[in-house]
Amino acid sequence: MLTYILRRILLMIPMLLVVSFLIYLGLELTPGDAVSYMIPPDLGGQISPEQMEAIRESLGLNKSFIERYFIWLWGAVQGNFGYSLSGGVSISQIFLDRLPATLELSIAAILISTVLGTALGVITALKRGSATDITLTIGGMIGLSIPDFFFGLAALSFFALELGWLPVGGRLMPGYETFWDRLPHLILPATVLALSLTAGVMRYSRAAMLDALSQEFVRTARAKGLPEWRVNVLHGFRVALTPVIVLVGFRLPFLIGGSVVIEKVFQWPGVGNEFVSAVRSQDYPLVMMIALLSVLAVLIASLIIDILTAVVDPRVRL
Amino acid sequence: MGTAQSEADVVVSVEGLRTYFYNDNRCNKAVDDVSFEIRSGKTLCVVGESGCGKSVTASSIMQLLPRLARIEEGSITFNAQSGALRIDKLDRNGRAMRNIRGGEIAMIFQDPMKSLNPVYTVGFQIAENLKYHTRLASRAIRELTIEMLGKMGIPLPEKRVDQYPHEFSGGMRQRAMIAMAMACNPRLLIADEPTTALDVTIQAQIFETMLKLKAEHGTAIMLITHDMGVVAELADEVAVMYMGKIVEGGTVEEVLRTPRHPYTKALLASIPVLGRGRNQQIEPIRGSTPDPYDRPVGCQFAPRCDYAGEKCAVMPDEEYVSFTHRVRCWKHQEVAPDE
Ligand SMILES: Nc1ncnc2c1ncn2[C@@H]1O[C@H](COP(=O)(O)OP(=O)(O)OP(=O)(O)O)[C@@H](O)[C@H]1O
Ligand SMILES: [Mg+2]
Repeated sequence: MLTYILRRILLMIPMLLVVSFLIYLGLELTPGDAVSYMIPPDLGGQISPEQMEAIRESLGLNKSFIERYFIWLWGAVQGNFGYSLSGGVSISQIFLDRLPATLELSIAAILISTVLGTALGVITALKRGSATDITLTIGGMIGLSIPDFFFGLAALSFFALELGWLPVGGRLMPGYETFWDRLPHLILPATVLALSLTAGVMRYSRAAMLDALSQEFVRTARAKGLPEWRVNVLHGFRVALTPVIVLVGFRLPFLIGGSVVIEKVFQWPGVGNEFVSAVRSQDYPLVMMIALLSVLAVLIASLIIDILTAVVDPRVRL
Repeated sequence: MGTAQSEADVVVSVEGLRTYFYNDNRCNKAVDDVSFEIRSGKTLCVVGESGCGKSVTASSIMQLLPRLARIEEGSITFNAQSGALRIDKLDRNGRAMRNIRGGEIAMIFQDPMKSLNPVYTVGFQIAENLKYHTRLASRAIRELTIEMLGKMGIPLPEKRVDQYPHEFSGGMRQRAMIAMAMACNPRLLIADEPTTALDVTIQAQIFETMLKLKAEHGTAIMLITHDMGVVAELADEVAVMYMGKIVEGGTVEEVLRTPRHPYTKALLASIPVLGRGRNQQIEPIRGSTPDPYDRPVGCQFAPRCDYAGEKCAVMPDEEYVSFTHRVRCWKHQEVAPDE
C-alpha cells in the first residue's frame, strides 16, 4: 500500500511536467514582456532599459525556450510562481491567502452534501416507488436543473436580506479570527453549494444502493435470517459505498479549484473568485497558475479515490 | 418409501401451493397448485426446464420471494423443533420467519461467485449466521466456523476463515456456502442448482459433501437441478415440474424407470445416459416452453406432446398410479412402458 502510494506520487511527476510545460508554453505565448511579470511591479518604474536588458540576461531570457522552461520550473518547485499582473502580489502569496477560504467552503459543502445525499439516496432506494421516493427524486431533479447562481441569489435575498439572519457575503469581519466567528458567513454559501451537490450524490447513491440490493449476496444474507437493517446496512449499503466514494472523490478537484459561481455570488475570497478577476483582467500568469493548481488537485484526488477504494473494497489491492 | 414411514418424518409439507407474479396488471402463475412432502434424511429432486417454477417454489418455502410475487393459496407446513408451523401465514420478514431462515431451513444458490458478499471475509459471513441463530460467544462462534470449513473439506481452515471470497476458488466458495448453510444444523437444506456453475469433478465433490451431511444429521434436502444424472445418483424422490405444475412425482425408480408423463419421458430421452454407449438416441424436446403470461388452455405440455389428444384441452388432475407415484396426464396409460 505504502509503496503503491509512493509510486503513484512519483508517477505524478511526469504528468505535472507535461502540464507545467504546456502552461509555460501558454505563458510564453501570451502578449506582453516576460520580464514584466518576473519582477515585482513596484520596482518596475525604477528600472531603466539597460537594467531590463541586464535582468533579461541574468534571468536567462536570452537563453533557449527549453532552458528558460527549466529555470522557471525550478523556481516553481521552490514556491516562486511569479507575480500576478494586476495586483503585483506574488502568486504564491495569493494562493496562501485564497486557498484556505476555498478549502473551508469546499470541505463544508462536501461533508454536508455527502452525508445528506447518501442518506437521502439510501432512503429513496429502500422506499423505492413510494411517495417519499418520488418526491425526493423529483426534488433532486429540480435541484439539479436550477442554476447555482439563481439558487445562491435566492438564498441570499431571503435569508440575508429579507430575514437578516445571516451576513450577506464575505468571509471575515475585521477583528474576528476564529472559525466560530466565521461560521455565520460560511453557512449560506456552504449550504447552497452543498445542496447543489446533494442532488447528484443522492441520485448516484440511490442507484448504487439499488444495484447493491439486487445482488445475489443480499438474498444470501436474507436467507441467513438476518434482520432487515443488517441486510440493508451491512450488506447493501456497505457495497454501495464504493461507487459513492468515487463520485465524491471526482468532485474534490472541482471544489479545490473553487466553485466560481458560488464564490462570486457570496463574495467569498477564495480561489474561484480570484480566478474570475484574473480572467477578467487578463492576468495570464495567475490564470495559468490556478490551472496548474487544479491539475495538481485532480491528480491528488484520483490518488485519494484509489486509496479509499482499496480501503473499502478488499478485492482492490494496491 | 413414502407412506411406509410415519408422518413424524415429514419436515416440510407443501399443499396446493400457488405463487403468482403480478407484472403490469398481468399475472404469471409461476407456481400453480404444487404439493409435495420432504422427509428427514431424504432428498427430493425437483427437475424441469428453465422457467418452470423450481426456484419460485423454493423461495416460497423460504419466504424469499421477489417483491412482485405473492403466495395466493395453499399451505406450507414446516415441522420445526417447537412444533408444526404454517410458513405461509408468517410475516415475510418477521422474527419467526427469520428464526427459521438460516436456522432451521437453509438455502444455497446456483452461483457461488455471486452469492457471497465480496467485502466481508468468508468467516465473517458464516459467523453471521451463527450469531443470529445460536447463543454462542464470539470465541466459540469462530471455532465452530473454522470447524465447519474444515468439515467441508477446505484445507487450512484457520487461515481460510479470514480470507475474502475472491481468494477462494468456485468450488471452495460453494463449500463455504454449504458450511454457512449447515452451520446451524438445519432440518431442511434447499439447494438451488448448487453445482451448475462448477465443473464436473468439483460437482461430484460437492454432492459427496451434501450426502455425508444428510447421513450424519438426517437433514432433509430439496435439490433443484437440470441434470438427470444427478437425479439418478442422489434423489430418493423426484418431482418433475412443467409450467408451474408438478406433472409427475414419485420415487427415483418409479420416475426414472417407468415414467408416466410424456414430458418426463421426453426429458429423459433428451439427455445422454452414462454407460449406454455412443449410439444412444438423444432427442431434444421439440418446441419451446410457452410464454408464461400467455399460456395454452388445458394441459400446458399438450402443444409439444406426441400423445396429445382432444382431452388435453382440459387440465388433468393428479392421479396416483401407485402409493407414491403420481402423474398429471390423461394419457399416462399409453405413456407407461410395457412391462
Ligand atoms: N423476479 C421475477 N420477476 C418476474 N417473474 C419472475 C421472477 N422470477 C421468476 N419469474 C417467473 O416465474 C416463473 C418461474 O421461474 P423460476 O425462476 O422459478 O424458474 P426455474 O424453474 O427456477 O428456472 P431455472 O432453471 O432457469 O432457474 C418464470 O415464468 C419466470 O419468468
Ligand atoms: Mg431457478
